[in-house]
Amino acid sequence: MLDFSPQPYDWAAGFQHWLAIMVVAGVAAFVSALFISILALGFAGPYHVLVHLKGAVADFVGTSPRRCLAIAKLTFLEALRRKTLLVFVVFAVLFLFAGWFLSDVTDDAQLQVKNYVSFVLRTISWLILPVVLLLSCWGLPEDIRLRSLHTVVTKPVRRHEIVLGRILGFSAIGALVLGAMSLVGYFWINRQLPQSMKSQLTARVPIYGSISFLNNEGSQVEKGINVGDENMFRSFIEGNTKSRAIWDFANVDVSRFDQDRLVLESTLSSFRTYKGNIEKQLMCQYTLVNPKTNLRVPLAPFEVNEFRRNVYDVLAENRNVLQDPDGKTVDLIKDLVQDGALRVEVACLSSAQFLGMANPDLFIRLPDQPFASTYFKSIFNIGLMMVMVVVLGVVAGCFLKGPVATMLVAFVVIVGKLAHGFVVSLVTGDVQYNPNIRMQGRGMFEALYRIPTHLTPGVELQDSFFSRLIHVLDNIELNGLYVIHFLFPNFGLFDTTQYSANTFDVPWSAALLPSIATTLAYILPWILIGYFSLRIRELEAK
Amino acid sequence: MNLTSRQRKLAYTACIVLLLIPIILLGMPAEPGSAGGLLARERARDGLSESDLGKVDPASSTMSLLLLGFRGIATSLLWMDAQEQQRNKDWAGLRATTESIILLQPHFLKVWHFQGWNLAYNVSAEWDAVADRWYWVKEGIKFFKKGRDRNEKYAELYWYIGDTTGKKIGRSDEWKQFRRFFRVDPDKERFQGNADNQINTGQGRNDNYLEAGYWFLEADETVFRYGHQEHIMAPYLFRSYPVRAQFDYAGTLQREGIFDEVCVEAWNTAFKNWTDSPQPPIKVAYGQMEFDCPIGKIKFEVPLEAWKVLQAQDADKPDVGQRVTHWIGRYQSTTNYLFWRTKSLAESKTQTADVHRLLYEGEEAFRQADFSRGLELFNEGMAKYEKVLEDFPSLRNEDETLEEALIALHFWRDLLELTETDVPDEYPLQEIWDENPQRREHAKDEYKRRRRAPR
Repeated sequence: MLDFSPQPYDWAAGFQHWLAIMVVAGVAAFVSALFISILALGFAGPYHVLVHLKGAVADFVGTSPRRCLAIAKLTFLEALRRKTLLVFVVFAVLFLFAGWFLSDVTDDAQLQVKNYVSFVLRTISWLILPVVLLLSCWGLPEDIRLRSLHTVVTKPVRRHEIVLGRILGFSAIGALVLGAMSLVGYFWINRQLPQSMKSQLTARVPIYGSISFLNNEGSQVEKGINVGDENMFRSFIEGNTKSRAIWDFANVDVSRFDQDRLVLESTLSSFRTYKGNIEKQLMCQYTLVNPKTNLRVPLAPFEVNEFRRNVYDVLAENRNVLQDPDGKTVDLIKDLVQDGALRVEVACLSSAQFLGMANPDLFIRLPDQPFASTYFKSIFNIGLMMVMVVVLGVVAGCFLKGPVATMLVAFVVIVGKLAHGFVVSLVTGDVQYNPNIRMQGRGMFEALYRIPTHLTPGVELQDSFFSRLIHVLDNIELNGLYVIHFLFPNFGLFDTTQYSANTFDVPWSAALLPSIATTLAYILPWILIGYFSLRIRELEAK
Repeated sequence: MNLTSRQRKLAYTACIVLLLIPIILLGMPAEPGSAGGLLARERARDGLSESDLGKVDPASSTMSLLLLGFRGIATSLLWMDAQEQQRNKDWAGLRATTESIILLQPHFLKVWHFQGWNLAYNVSAEWDAVADRWYWVKEGIKFFKKGRDRNEKYAELYWYIGDTTGKKIGRSDEWKQFRRFFRVDPDKERFQGNADNQINTGQGRNDNYLEAGYWFLEADETVFRYGHQEHIMAPYLFRSYPVRAQFDYAGTLQREGIFDEVCVEAWNTAFKNWTDSPQPPIKVAYGQMEFDCPIGKIKFEVPLEAWKVLQAQDADKPDVGQRVTHWIGRYQSTTNYLFWRTKSLAESKTQTADVHRLLYEGEEAFRQADFSRGLELFNEGMAKYEKVLEDFPSLRNEDETLEEALIALHFWRDLLELTETDVPDEYPLQEIWDENPQRREHAKDEYKRRRRAPR
């Protein structure tokens, strides 16, 4: 089961957002450049800025793929000389011993598949990133230190071609290593997994809907009942009341169904307020609704198998006959899934017991794809993350020395991968999975006041000049942090292990598209920064 | 002194060779036919090497070496991960993390105890299906067994296996299902209608309590085999568990409605093992074991004549703390020795088994609405119960007896009402009814529950 909701990516809104930031950042950079140039060179400064800009346009227009590829080839060979491929030794050692660690962890097929797939994807990800990070951060600074770059820049090669060539070269060696590792990993999973568990290796293709709730009086509510679970991602509906969880599916493409069969899959949580019959699981019932005609078809109830996949083939479970409450026969495709819209209402039938759910817990299951599909999509995403690191490393190497560039990139990657959620919650004040809770007293100045005065975050500050000043200062600081947090790409976005390990196909709109968009969005400005850094820097300054 | 480069190199080599000699002498590993160097001999003498503690896990040793000094940090991070995964109900992650933790802390007893318990009790309770709960109980027991393999000198781990196999399977809400699954695993595909032989090893004659008894006995023997003290409870309590498992076994047969000679024999075996005639595999009866007390060694089972002699000897001792009978009585009271002695003796009699059978069948008849038959069975059962209590008067004040008698009386009185019969002026077990008005109310709840569903 997923513990997050896959959200379709709105690329148009994303592009607009990106364009706005680029325009603002571009204007800010231009104005800053003018200002600095005036300070440095007097009134001749702006002229120099314009010369550089004109040169930049000429450089990019005159880009020669041949020269880029030549530099890429040299970079590739240089990386080989630096014994990059030794990473395979570490990889081989890890995989040789992994069987010891993982083979007898659990007898449960679903859990074991999850362990194997997560291990392989995480290992590949954590091995490839440091390698490309070190290579890309040390490439250009070393060339500058050894003065080999001096020979290159005297040739008819443009600065941005050096940057692009480097990026292409390091990405190519990274892709080679990643490709080899992913193939080994794929066959390793297939070989390690016992025969009896291999049927679990698949890629389920879901169509997700959007969830809403009715409370036990039948009124629309934002969330279901909180039964006291620490993790508030799921909320619950009460059994044998009007409480419902409702999923609305849009754009359901019937042609993708397997022989016109609608298969619903759910992973629901059970919560009992009394023991009841422990040999029977809680009862659940789906009702299919056509949202346009309001035709309702209650389906045969089923027992909920908690933490497991409840696969419900609508026709098979109802003996191929669907009827509305009046007993009139209903055609699944023609009468219910009209114009691609379908509503599924979920009710708990066990009195005074509760069923818990969140958005990704119920979906329409389309015919499965081979496991390789989800696995290699996850690898592709790791590849995108690798390219991001390469670009960042090469760009940092354009204006920093090797060790500093390494530290900078490592910091950006670690914050982007491990602490992005934390940074976002800091700047927005949102607590994950619970929009009702707002972080209080989160500003640095307010904290500096609260800690020595022993004032807990729940207590409001008394309105005074001092408290208003604190809020003003905190607003400045938090807004600054808000701007800065965009500099750290969300590397967690590229980690689609959750999908593959839970044998879900990696969705295009919710996982692949945002990764590709993020990569492109960051690469372009970073390349520009690298180019200008290399163009205006003094190469003699080692 | 001016040395040439070659001379310097030769001097360094000589120094290296000289230093190697004590290193080799000290660190030479033990081999067949050779006790090895000083360090190997010391390690063997104090039982400190990996192989002395239990089965060596190469992965664990490799991990410890690879992490150098960061084992503590890695362990702490893994513990935090495990907690987080449990909170988020990521069971696959939790299971994998526990495996990683034990690779880093293979000889830390509390880790095995905590995580084994966590899997068998906490994680199993999170699942709704009984078969799934059973799976996680097994995971907990298997985890303890893995711990036992790596730490064969820890008597505690044998005891935890016994405790979980006995108590968790036999006393949880799902005890009926668990005891059935112990014999026939619900995972038909994997076990083909047989037991999971990692749990039901065959040492307990296909019963979880007898299997638990085997592990308690192993725990007891481990203490003596290696001379390592266990740290769970006082020895005189710890050593009672193999026989207590037999009590549980016999008591559970009754709960399941088995009152034949198997049940009587189970109580009889328990009585013998508890007092003075050990039955295999138990080698020494509990009552014959010697335990340390502040004034020397004592035994629980003391024949009446010997008891009188001891009393006579103690009569001259003004200080109570110096009296043998005082310490025997005190320890007997802590272990409930006399109660279990009387109880097992009484239950090993056919007439006591008859009482339980009659009351059990009376309840069944009540639930099937055969009220006249039910009344008949209760009348007979209660009369026989009165007779048993006359033979074993100490049972009259014992909780289990009181509860059973009061529930029987509730059923009986209800049956009288249903058959429109007046409560007679005198009836069996009347004294218990009259003398325990508060307990009557408590027993009424259980009686109401049992009216709806069988035990």
